Amino acid sequence: MEEADVLRKQVPSYLAEAQMIKQGAEARVYRGRFLGRSVIIKERFPKLYRHPSVDEKLTRRRTAQEVRSILRCRRAGINAPVVYFVDYNYHCIFLEDIVHSVSVRDYIVPVQATVQGTEHLQTLADKIGEILAQMHDEDVIHGDLTTSNMLLLAKAEHKNINLVLIDFGLSYISALTEDKGVDLYVLEKAFLSTHPNTETLFDRLLKSYTASSKKAPAVIKKLDEVRLRGRKRSMVG
Amino acid sequence: MHRTHDLEIFPEYTVTQLLFKDLKNAAELRKMAVNGEIKGALINPTMIVDAFQILVAANKAVHLHKNGKMKTRSLYSEIIFNLSPTNNISEAFKRFGISDSDNAVYIVLVHNKEETLNVDDIISKVDGQQIDVDQVSELTDAAIVKKLYKVAPMEERCGSLLDAVVCRMATKDVA
Ligand SMILES: Nc1ncnc2c1ncn2[C@@H]1O[C@H](COP(=O)(O)OP(=O)(O)O)[C@@H](O)[C@H]1O
Ligand SMILES: [Mg+2]
Repeated sequence: MEEADVLRKQVPSYLAEAQMIKQGAEARVYRGRFLGRSVIIKERFPKLYRHPSVDEKLTRRRTAQEVRSILRCRRAGINAPVVYFVDYNYHCIFLEDIVHSVSVRDYIVPVQATVQGTEHLQTLADKIGEILAQMHDEDVIHGDLTTSNMLLLAKAEHKNINLVLIDFGLSYISALTEDKGVDLYVLEKAFLSTHPNTETLFDRLLKSYTASSKKAPAVIKKLDEVRLRGRKRSMVG
Repeated sequence: MHRTHDLEIFPEYTVTQLLFKDLKNAAELRKMAVNGEIKGALINPTMIVDAFQILVAANKAVHLHKNGKMKTRSLYSEIIFNLSPTNNISEAFKRFGISDSDNAVYIVLVHNKEETLNVDDIISKVDGQQIDVDQVSELTDAAIVKKLYKVAPMEERCGSLLDAVVCRMATKDVA
């Protein structure tokens, strides 16, 4: 009873009005209203297995990193949701709701099955490669690149693909080629396991990445090294 | 003609916004705000892109007020401080507050729903023409806003000037 009371105090009252859309391991994501607009509220809840002061510090840092990287991307013209408000008491971020969007993951699956699918997906892969190269040029390491963490606004067959990057909770700033290579490796793993038989498509993404930045070839070289390490590790394990 | 908004996350509070042009008594209003005769924030409308910008600043001020974490002395000065992209308080007042020679003013009032608010009393103190708050865009000095908030043309590829401004206001504590 007592513990339940403590827990209840740790939940802000405004979340009672919001609708939960995802319960993750680190955060709960809600849709709600804020100053007359539809918003996404991302709440990092306390992890009871961590020491409270350690937990507070870590959670605060992730929240700060998430909003910092979003701002850094937007400054460079890379689309990410606008931050409206941050509540550091409850570690809640209020974000622009990217309406009429679909995640790249949900987009790829049905399109892959169609006849013209390959062509549409190639344009999309080009765009993803280009944007990730831009992001890395800003020294933003996303930390959790997956096709679920990219939202698609317009129809991908149009030249004007509007891609929005989300979920910067594990992001950080680094100029190291190694960190950028690992970022791409994480995406490669996620991409190929979520979308079987997309090796060619992913190669196309990497080609576009390479063509989009002077620094990209060195990152791809690192990616090769990281792959090799990954393979060795899996042979041992 | 004034506009009243509820703050969804602080339902006990309401924000009222009024906008005046052809202002003749800026110096007098400033004095009234200092001595408490006007309980509200007096803001320079050339720095305001949209009423939403004001609401973001007011919401954050109420949040910090309720948590005892304000950086300035009152809810109203905190609204002005929150509009600024930097953490320099005197700079915030210089840019976002009004000066004696100003010919327009954006007034923001925040009140608890239980209190009664006498808007007419405030309106009667202003020697100027009241206009709709949406008309603030006619008074915005976009060039100065872009310069102060350091908004490069590249950023406007992924959103409006309002998006850029609000995002900086919301993240300035950690940026
Ligand atoms: N700004 C946003 N606009 C629209 N949908 C969003 C937004 N942010 C998150 N979502 C939706 O919520 C899901 C989870 O959000 P995310 O930030 O990825 O949190 P998690 O760390 O739990 O993966 C996303 O996959 C997406 O479907
Ligand atoms: Mg995610």
